[in-house]
Amino acid sequence: MLQTIILNIVRILFLILLQSQIVSRIDLFDGLILPWVYIFGLLMLPFETPRWLTMIIAFVTGLLMDFFSGPIGLHTSACVVLGYAQPIVQKILAPREGYDLTQKPTVQRMGLAWYLTYAGVLTLVHHSWFFFMEVFRFSDFFYQIFHILLSSLATIVLMTIGQYLIYNSKSSQL
Amino acid sequence: MKNILVLIQRFYLFLMFLALQIFALVFLFRNNNFHQAEFIRHSSDWIGGIYSKRAQLSEYLRLGEINDELSLENAQLRSQSADNFIAIRSDVDTLSDSTFQQRYTYRTAKVVNATVNREKNYITIDRGTNGGVLQDMGVISGGNILGVVRSVSEHFAIVMPVLHADFKASVRLKKSGAFGSLVWAGGDASLADVIEIPKNIPVAPGDTLVTSGYSTFFPANIHVGTIQEIDDESDNNYHILKIKLGVDFRRLDHVLVVSDIMKTEQDSLLKQMGED
Repeated sequence: MLQTIILNIVRILFLILLQSQIVSRIDLFDGLILPWVYIFGLLMLPFETPRWLTMIIAFVTGLLMDFFSGPIGLHTSACVVLGYAQPIVQKILAPREGYDLTQKPTVQRMGLAWYLTYAGVLTLVHHSWFFFMEVFRFSDFFYQIFHILLSSLATIVLMTIGQYLIYNSKSSQL
Repeated sequence: MKNILVLIQRFYLFLMFLALQIFALVFLFRNNNFHQAEFIRHSSDWIGGIYSKRAQLSEYLRLGEINDELSLENAQLRSQSADNFIAIRSDVDTLSDSTFQQRYTYRTAKVVNATVNREKNYITIDRGTNGGVLQDMGVISGGNILGVVRSVSEHFAIVMPVLHADFKASVRLKKSGAFGSLVWAGGDASLADVIEIPKNIPVAPGDTLVTSGYSTFFPANIHVGTIQEIDDESDNNYHILKIKLGVDFRRLDHVLVVSDIMKTEQDSLLKQMGED
């Protein structure tokens, strides 16, 4: 239990640093593709996390991210939406007998198809909210859609590759 | 009363979502431009510290290039030094000069963080109020216009660069002297737009644009960029000029912060006019 808590906190902090110091600085096609991979830390929260806690963690994560890559409130807002939607998506995607306690939201435990649906929907929700809030105008609508789709795709690809690199079937107990 | 409690119990997650969301959005949209400033003031020392470490690393990797730039600048400065000039006529050997008075001074600073791929980009430099940097000072890099200081803490300052949706600066065509405004519409970090130059002013690709010196942010004749493309399609009477910026925002290291000694004087005069 304690191990899980520490692991999740360390993972979120590490991902925020990774995002702000490396990933955000990768400039692909003049900012057309801008992956926000730090949300991986939120997607990896255990299934049994209470919904209110998921939202609080998302809020704090977003606020920390805003300190690095302001304006204050932008990531916070998108993360709160993600934190609210995440348990709902988990519930919709749940197997008939529900999740058992050893299951984690990883490719290795839930399968690639499940993971891509889960991460895909939530990444789209987060990125759509984020990019529309950032510009807060609906001009360049199609550019924005393109921007959101390509950035989400990049985020999902990076997160999935990350899973294969970090977790193998033996260590997926964590 | 009981009903309300039951209602809260049933919808507490959604209410919590609303509360957190409103909190975030109030921060985001209140005081639209500078909501970051207050937070930066408190958090910049540790956030800035992390950014400085990374900047040190990337600076180390291109020390050679920086050396070249600095020695070039050294050579230029040295050639202007008084030692290199000799008096041609002995009778004007000493000259008490009261014609000129210094107006601008420069401070060096180092860039510790910069973004180029957002709609509203910001640059962090490692000099704040302790180093004499104040809000609304201009920042230049390699003789090119870079941005304006928006908020300062003790050791760091946040600069709003040209690459920001709200940036606007007064610029001038070097050739004809016509005035326009420099803005940025997003996208490519090496291009910006100049608007409000009337169509009857002749322009050609390659023409140079410099600062006008009308604002107190920048001295006159600081290089801005060169015209790359001219768009006269619109119905109004103004050119839309795509210009290639002189500064490369992807590789910033050393910048100069410009302080205008007569800023308060000029601003208070303007304010006086406004009050009348």
